[in-house]
Amino acid sequence: MKKIISFVLLVIIFIGIYFAVSQIPYGKDKMSVSKHYLNNGVKENGASNIVTSVVLNYRGFDTLGELTILFIGAIGLGVVLFGFETKGKDIKSPSLILNAGSTFLFPFILLFGIYIFIHGHLSPGGGFQGGAVIASGFLISYLGYPKKRISEKGIHIVESLGGTLFILIGLLGLLLGGYFLSNILPKGTVNTLVSGGIIPLLYVLIGIKVGAELAGIIYKLME
Amino acid sequence: MVSTVWQNPVLLIVVPLGLAFFTPIIGLIRKELVKYIPILGMLFNLTLSLFLLPKVLDNPIIVSLSGWKPPFAINLFVGPVGILFSILISLVGLLTAIYGINYIKKGAVEKYHMLFLLLLTGATGIVLTGDIFNLFVFFEILCISSYALVAYNQDKNGIEAATKYLIQGSLGSAFILLGIGFLYGLFGTLNMADIARNITTVDSPALFIAMALFITGFGVEAAIFPLNAWLPDAHSSAPSTISAILSGIAIHIGIYAIFRVLYTLFGFNSIFTVLAVIGIVTLLIGEMSAFRQENIKRVLAYSSMGQMGLIIFALSIGTVDGISGGLFQIITHTLSKSLLFLCVGYMVYSTNSMELSSLNGLGKRMPLISLLFTIGVFSLIGLPPFIGFPSKLSIILAGLKTGETLFLILIVLMLLATVIEGVYFFRIIQILYFKEPDKEERFKTPFTLLFPVIILGLLIVAIGIYPGLLQEILDRSAEIFWDKLSYIKIVFGG
Repeated sequence: MKKIISFVLLVIIFIGIYFAVSQIPYGKDKMSVSKHYLNNGVKENGASNIVTSVVLNYRGFDTLGELTILFIGAIGLGVVLFGFETKGKDIKSPSLILNAGSTFLFPFILLFGIYIFIHGHLSPGGGFQGGAVIASGFLISYLGYPKKRISEKGIHIVESLGGTLFILIGLLGLLLGGYFLSNILPKGTVNTLVSGGIIPLLYVLIGIKVGAELAGIIYKLME
Repeated sequence: MVSTVWQNPVLLIVVPLGLAFFTPIIGLIRKELVKYIPILGMLFNLTLSLFLLPKVLDNPIIVSLSGWKPPFAINLFVGPVGILFSILISLVGLLTAIYGINYIKKGAVEKYHMLFLLLLTGATGIVLTGDIFNLFVFFEILCISSYALVAYNQDKNGIEAATKYLIQGSLGSAFILLGIGFLYGLFGTLNMADIARNITTVDSPALFIAMALFITGFGVEAAIFPLNAWLPDAHSSAPSTISAILSGIAIHIGIYAIFRVLYTLFGFNSIFTVLAVIGIVTLLIGEMSAFRQENIKRVLAYSSMGQMGLIIFALSIGTVDGISGGLFQIITHTLSKSLLFLCVGYMVYSTNSMELSSLNGLGKRMPLISLLFTIGVFSLIGLPPFIGFPSKLSIILAGLKTGETLFLILIVLMLLATVIEGVYFFRIIQILYFKEPDKEERFKTPFTLLFPVIILGLLIVAIGIYPGLLQEILDRSAEIFWDKLSYIKIVFGG
């Protein structure tokens, strides 16, 4: 009986959502806001990647919120797993190939991650993606050397500093530009590395913070 | 310029957020300092909100972020309702944080204080923002930190309750996101005032479905029947400080979100009748379930559910008087329920049991706490001279004023629910005062636990005796909350 009721409810939800989706004219030309971004984004922010410009400037406050959500995820995990002892005994040593391979790849993965977030305002990519790549570098080094630990203190300091500096840059914008997160630095020449005002700075902070958080999560879950 | 920066409402969100981010570094310098950080953040918020209140009563403030005008950037809508909620959040947050200094000793203490502060930041963000997606982001901050905090004790009940809450809450969030997606598809904008301005240009069933998704999604957090299965478990197995915050603040934020969306975005007035009925059903079910409980925290949790129903009913009357009564009831419930949970937290802490029978004769063993508990209970039932009396009275008057038979019936049912509420609460009072205690020794209450509870008790009595202090603020808030046209006008200027 319970199953039938839930099935009927699911069907109702499906019909409703299908109906709504079929009615909505996605991609039609009424997107005045997005048009404004496309037409004025480069001029107003100096970042040639419009997506970045929207994510970090027009809707930068949301990004701060999303960063916070990830942060909460990391601490929440810490709360739930608090006090669990690491066994560490029955871990087998990985093969030589994994060992050597991870040592070799680790710096390159880090470099690639850093490249992604530093170029976030010029090309596709950005802080969240770059941070994920960096965390994957830590994952492979964990697989290569399961007994080695990165300092948890270090991770905490890095993520804490990343978040605090993000807010400080925002507050500086409030102080100098009159609005929280306003783009106070000179915009520079479009398509060069030093352009887009505060955008690259914010992306570097996000990249480092996300990298540290995801790496911390990986280590916690592995144990 | 510099002189006005310090009164920018965005600081209400950013300062606690920054403090939460900075906490690990402070924790490295000195571990003991961490527990004072939430107090610092909430003290700042309380001061700034109180300072802003007289200003926003005249004219709501629009804060653009990133330096662009709405709808191109996110904006905050700092009206009297937002500031009223912000005062409540920071007041209860401050008192609970003081309570938490000595209450939270075990577990990941540093992380507790960070999550606590982030939960309150999320709540403040929701009530201040004027952008539907930003609202979702802060909603997630609120929800995810409460999932983690419910599991803080790491016992079996806590983990189970948190998992239940997590699953239902995430489903609700997914619904909200879907609703936002529909709205964005229809209007190409996420700014609430911009959507409200254009809502009449679109006549599509998709609009109705989006509204249904919003009500369901936020309804999980607001514990509307039948979306409230998580509430009794989560509220009763969390640490008492968190129960106080969840019951006193988090669920009201869900209600705020529902009615902000309904009042400002959508124009379906017929939905309010349905919601009024659902509200009374929630009220009756909550009170009847509370009646049967033997666990003191579950009694309070079910009673919260019932009170939510009452508030939803009041806000769905659809008149300014009704909204004013609903807001009043929110204040009543926030103060009374956090008072009750904090009192019970100490009782449970001392007697080590949540069963009603373990409270036998506590009135003699901890007289002050029991007295304050009684004040909270009387205020919830709606007895004069406590705050619950004027708030319940104003809801009844607002309902009678409509003159509709349906509301008349609903009010009779509401009074019936109040009787049930009175019966089970008086049973607890009887256990406290008229049963013989097992032991004679008295408990000594530390000052940090006593101080917040006394302040809450004093507020309940003070507002109960002089409801006029609040009435004017509430009426003005209700007017602005209800008035969609002025919302649009204020955001876009002129």
